[in-house]
Amino acid sequence: MVSWRELRDNPRARQLLEQRWLILRLVREWFWSRNFAEVQTPLAVRHAGQEPYLNPVSLTLQDAAGAPYPLQLHTSPEYSLKKLLAAGFPRIFEITKTFRDGEDIRGLHHPEFTLLEWYRAPGTLAELMDDTEGLFKAIGEKLGAPTVGISGESTSVKGAWKKKTMRALWQEWLDADLNNLLTREALAEFARARGYAVTAGDAYEDIFFKIFLDKIEPRLGREAPLFVYDYPSQMASLSRLSPRDPRYAERFELYIGGVEIANAFGELLDAEEQLRRLEADQAHRQKLGKPTWAVDQDFIAALRSGIPAPAAGIALGIDRMVLLFTGARGIEEVIFHTLGDQWEQQN
Amino acid sequence: MLSTSDIRKGVVIRHQGDLYVVVEFQHVNPGKGAAFTRTRMKSLGSGKVIEVTYKSGEAVDIVEVQFITMQYLYQSGPAYAFMNMQSYEQLELDAGLLGDEAKYLKEGIEVVVGLYEGRAVSVALPKKVKYTVAEAPPAVKGDSASGNVTKEVVLDNGLKIQAPIFIKEGEEILVNTETGEYSARA
Repeated sequence: MVSWRELRDNPRARQLLEQRWLILRLVREWFWSRNFAEVQTPLAVRHAGQEPYLNPVSLTLQDAAGAPYPLQLHTSPEYSLKKLLAAGFPRIFEITKTFRDGEDIRGLHHPEFTLLEWYRAPGTLAELMDDTEGLFKAIGEKLGAPTVGISGESTSVKGAWKKKTMRALWQEWLDADLNNLLTREALAEFARARGYAVTAGDAYEDIFFKIFLDKIEPRLGREAPLFVYDYPSQMASLSRLSPRDPRYAERFELYIGGVEIANAFGELLDAEEQLRRLEADQAHRQKLGKPTWAVDQDFIAALRSGIPAPAAGIALGIDRMVLLFTGARGIEEVIFHTLGDQWEQQN
Repeated sequence: MLSTSDIRKGVVIRHQGDLYVVVEFQHVNPGKGAAFTRTRMKSLGSGKVIEVTYKSGEAVDIVEVQFITMQYLYQSGPAYAFMNMQSYEQLELDAGLLGDEAKYLKEGIEVVVGLYEGRAVSVALPKKVKYTVAEAPPAVKGDSASGNVTKEVVLDNGLKIQAPIFIKEGEEILVNTETGEYSARA
């Protein structure tokens, strides 16, 4: 939605977009004032991420001589930003468009969306939590919006924010000890006993999320924003394993009003381990019958050359952040000229 | 057997032996992980609404539903008469099926009706419908200049909605049927 006609004729639609553009300015000012360098990285990259469940958009550019450059639109600027960490930039942020093919075009998704990522090297997850909380509170204050909300519910960003481990959440909502459910076999048995369908093709994280999405996620961050941390190591992605307990990974997600807003990693800096994980993801893609491409060896080379440890990075969905601050009903109300709008115009 | 990618509003799913029509669905991809489809569906028998989360790609028993474009004709007592735009046959839909959405009906608008074994199980309205403003009180001097003030207007089908104060009688406007709100001038 959000057509130019609505911006012209509909004060509410106009105000939502004005708020969005103001929030973008406030985010930038907040990072600039804290000595983060604003950087830019390419949207079209030679090697997109290997995440098995994300689908990059492919395109081919040609130079003046007609030589082809097969590219993909990035699904996240993560690799490029870590290359900048290796280049010696200790505090960086980027606000960029990212593209994920095959996503919904309304609600909480849009195939082209705006991501804010920032990194600290050296830096820790605890510092990123403080950054995130500080950022939301500063914006809330500037907008005069001490509470944020979705679907008519409101959550205060002004008071104390909460932090809970994934294990504590399973204890709280399922009365189960996640320490005993860290293998596929144990989790599958637990799921079946509670009436969930488990098929042979379901990986650990598939079973995990079936239960989590059903019983836990909708309840998260209702009273106050909540950081969920320490994910089972199967869901480590690009994060390092916790030095305190290697059964869990150094990763957190921020939930507000049942919606996932941000995802952060204590960055995995071990180049060989990273290469192994990317190759495993690549093999997983192949098994799913999805297109595959080479691992970004330049990213591995950047890790080998060294990034100051520990390093931490976070991705935060700007469209969702705007949705929360404005009380819009879906991100299609805070994006100008969405796919839905463009196609509606043509019909 | 179809899969989660075939889930749409209005399709009918056989779940644990009962038939349910999908009222709402949403895709969720937790932390870049696998995609899931959260589905809210209503039992065709009891009317009870349940929520089921499917992993994307999972087999789902979707039963055959025919989606047919029909044009709204008129209200007939507690029912609404539509014309099947393929066969030109008339069909009366029960007020219960349309629920609150009946207020958006206006002669000539086209809706998509889901038919399961000849029985209408869902009705989808166009996302935006054009109406003519039949009554609009003139803007009163002293109304806030903030640009955010709205007033109640009455549309040509009798529907009352809030519209910006600058909207006048006789203008054509678009109404979003998902939110029930004024969208823009047509």
